[in-house]
Amino acid sequence: MATVIINGKTSSVKDGTLILDAARDAGVEIPTFCYQADLMGVGSCRMCLVEIEGQKKLQPSCITPVMDGMSIQTETPQILKARQGVLEFFLSNHALDCPVCDKGGECELQDMVYKHGPVEGRYAESKHRFHEKDYILSPVIVKNSNRCVQCLRCVRVCDEVVGRNVLASLGRGHEQEETSFLRSRLDCDHCGNCIEVCPVGCFMRLPYRYKSRPWDLKGTDTICPYCATGCRMVVEERDGEALRARAQIGVGINSETLCARGRFGFDFINDPRRLTTPLVKKFGKLEPATWSEALDFISEKLSGIEGERIGGLASPVLTNEELYSFQKLMRSTLGSPNIDSSTRWDPVVVENYIAASAMTSGGLSVFDAAEADTLFVAGTQLSDENPIVDYIARRISAERGTRIIVASVRDMKLDSSAGLSIRHLPGGLGALMKAAALSLYESKKDKLQGFAGVERFEGLSADVLLGEAGVSSDELAAITKRFETSATVALTAGTDLLRQSCGILALGLLSDVLKALGKEVLILPILDRANQRGAWEMGVLPGLAPGYRTASKRGLGTKEMIEAAAAGGIDAMYVIGEDPVGENPSGVSAFDALSKLSFILVQDTFLTDTAAMADCVLPGAFPAEKDGTFTNQEGRVQAMRRLKAPPGDARAYLAIIASVSGVLSSTTGVCTKTNSMQVFNEIRKEAPAYAGVSLEFNNRKNKLNKLDNREALAGASEGGFTPVAMTSCAPAAEQRGEGEFYLITGNTLFHSGRLSHSSPTLTGLQKGAALELSEADASALGLSSGEEARVQGNDYEVTLPVRLRKGMRDGVVYIPEFFPGVSVERFFTTGVSLPVVKVKKS
Amino acid sequence: MLTDKVREEILKITAKYYNKRSAVMDALMLVQKDCGGNITRGDMEDIADMLEIKPHEVNAVATFYTMYNYAKPVGRYHIQVCRNISCALLEAERVIAHIEDTLGIKTGDTTPDNKFTLSTAECLGSCGTAPMMQINDNYYENLTPDKVDAILKGFE
Repeated sequence: MATVIINGKTSSVKDGTLILDAARDAGVEIPTFCYQADLMGVGSCRMCLVEIEGQKKLQPSCITPVMDGMSIQTETPQILKARQGVLEFFLSNHALDCPVCDKGGECELQDMVYKHGPVEGRYAESKHRFHEKDYILSPVIVKNSNRCVQCLRCVRVCDEVVGRNVLASLGRGHEQEETSFLRSRLDCDHCGNCIEVCPVGCFMRLPYRYKSRPWDLKGTDTICPYCATGCRMVVEERDGEALRARAQIGVGINSETLCARGRFGFDFINDPRRLTTPLVKKFGKLEPATWSEALDFISEKLSGIEGERIGGLASPVLTNEELYSFQKLMRSTLGSPNIDSSTRWDPVVVENYIAASAMTSGGLSVFDAAEADTLFVAGTQLSDENPIVDYIARRISAERGTRIIVASVRDMKLDSSAGLSIRHLPGGLGALMKAAALSLYESKKDKLQGFAGVERFEGLSADVLLGEAGVSSDELAAITKRFETSATVALTAGTDLLRQSCGILALGLLSDVLKALGKEVLILPILDRANQRGAWEMGVLPGLAPGYRTASKRGLGTKEMIEAAAAGGIDAMYVIGEDPVGENPSGVSAFDALSKLSFILVQDTFLTDTAAMADCVLPGAFPAEKDGTFTNQEGRVQAMRRLKAPPGDARAYLAIIASVSGVLSSTTGVCTKTNSMQVFNEIRKEAPAYAGVSLEFNNRKNKLNKLDNREALAGASEGGFTPVAMTSCAPAAEQRGEGEFYLITGNTLFHSGRLSHSSPTLTGLQKGAALELSEADASALGLSSGEEARVQGNDYEVTLPVRLRKGMRDGVVYIPEFFPGVSVERFFTTGVSLPVVKVKKS
Repeated sequence: MLTDKVREEILKITAKYYNKRSAVMDALMLVQKDCGGNITRGDMEDIADMLEIKPHEVNAVATFYTMYNYAKPVGRYHIQVCRNISCALLEAERVIAHIEDTLGIKTGDTTPDNKFTLSTAECLGSCGTAPMMQINDNYYENLTPDKVDAILKGFE
């Protein structure tokens, strides 16, 4: 600890603290430009100069660490004059086109000059102009270098946080320009973090250009609806149109960072095709109706159907309150145990996943995982699927020396920060983890005498496992060595484990072995839908009630419901925000199956394929149009607020569920609550893990950039449950023949689920799906980038353009999920988790 | 495009450094010498490829240092006249004007036969012999108009 005196006040701070941080801690404001929390200091702007007793020259506080007994002044006449000089110098070459600049009104340079600047400038020389017209760097980024203050935040954020490193500072002196290689179009993640960190109007968003002035925008705090990282952001609207989403420094785990989906993908909310009025089927056609007509119709149709013959399916992008109310409506009001929250995952696999990833023992902060001695990233294409977790891992590993091991089939951006990258065979992750567990166990057998569950090693042989994983023994040795030398090990449990259920058992085994060796094991679930964890914790699963308690009666999962519909086992479906027909998750055609039902009720924001064949469609609302909470993959419960009303007659799902419940049941108070806080208070009682969760911090801006609000993490669930044993884990891959490839799927950087395809900006960044394969495979097939290839499975085939991927494993092809026109799910016929396809040049 | 000879030289130099990227300045110099004084977009991409860095990083180095001629094609003989304090006090401007007149070009231009390029430079560290200029790798010192004529004739 060091004692420092700042402006006469004594305070005690950690050794090595920067003067700037020490001052901010003590409540003293020092103006800065180039300083940005989480980025390496450069000390280039000289705005933060302070006076240190005994030193003749002023010192930049953002790169000078404190020393014991240091006496610092921050407001002397000399400093004020220096600040004026710095600002005068900035303005000497600044475009000063504030009236046409998008940043005008929220510009740090404007604010600084207003607060600290000189009254007038003395420079009479002509200004250096980099270019006359703004130039476009990417479909979402437009650049005006004439406004640059050379703070290098953009270059640093791109390199240190995002990890793309596509920006550089070209030239020198007053000709220094932060831009791409020769100002060419960027081939990057289009995340726009350079825009967010830019203090002036140098990097600007193209979709928002000239649309509004900041003081005309009305914004509210919400949570990104894409992946389950749970990034906090502000969505801003003007005249009812959502214009932009941005992150704020010091708010949420993401602080000022977002990915392309979060920052630019929110424009789906303005889509004119959204449902604005209830629709009721009359004479075989969906016709607009009033709410009371629709509700009467629902009551008439549903009240005649026995509860157990109704199926319920809700999207994992609904809020906790909506999901909780929905399961209550299904289970109590309708008396149906059939409820699920995904068209993709098998509920039995989900239960095992929940148990293996220790979700029942409460939330785990992503920062704890990233700060572990070793972070084992497996089962997820992290850099594409959960970009902010990738940013956090990169930043913290550089700062604290976390060792990252990446185990994946395809290359990913995080490889550059990883000490070890393993490319295993698709479906081989389970074998890899088992091999690691076996090797750790064998080398420390004497220590692990009493290891519980030793029978799980029976019949395992390292050679066979390595063969299944497609990993060499050297690579395995490197992994186990890292595990052995770490006191804390963080393992990620990605969505691939839900696809390849063998991995779940292996994850349990590996974590048990590591624990037996005395290591602290942290398991971080990595999920790809905003409230997937919340959906499970709210009991939107056929076997689980809220709070991870075993449901009193086990119902049907999505696939079983569709099969039951085809076989006449159920009569009605109640679907919220999902599209089983469009996604067709089952072996049987979901369209044919659902056609047999006597009643389909859909709540959605768009007229999906399922909604189109429904008997009644109720228009719902997106985040930013409703209040509620999401639980992210860490188990962090965060609240979001309503910004504007949904279009037309549309209502929040919570209100709709309450209305439906109201007309179906005469008993009041079942789930007719329309206020999300009331429902959340009920959840606190039903799911004890949520009892102590604080929603307070949510919108509090933290000046010191302390992002980890632990009071928001869910607690441990009492009692717990025993998952239904998986009869067998996913069958081993079929043998691959000549000209055949293993097919894998997943999300892309710009698209996850259906929602992103309604965003014009994201569709502009990536329109169609592409078939990704390794360069060697492509040349063997005579394919080059952009050419079309025909992919043939057992009962589905599709033609796709080809994209080559340098670091991809040979013998594997990848097609993304949920792209319109490509039903990749249909390659995965029931029970096949790793299909084999033929690829031909078309 | 880099010639095989340059590629070989770059590889040799790379071996001297702790990591490949550190060789970027040497690589640029080698390329500039080999290709007659002007670094192109393709050269930077090739260097980036060889040193396993990104093209914009090469771009940043090439534009930061004034002695790399990026996007400024130069003639066979690149004349750089110093115009910093010592040279300026001893009438460097007169030397520049004289060269402009003799060659019939303005500062920054290249003669139509692509023989000479005239540019000005900041201090070249030879203040004791001001005014001075550098042509390719050699210094010419204590210049007078007559002396300049003689020097330029020498390149005929």
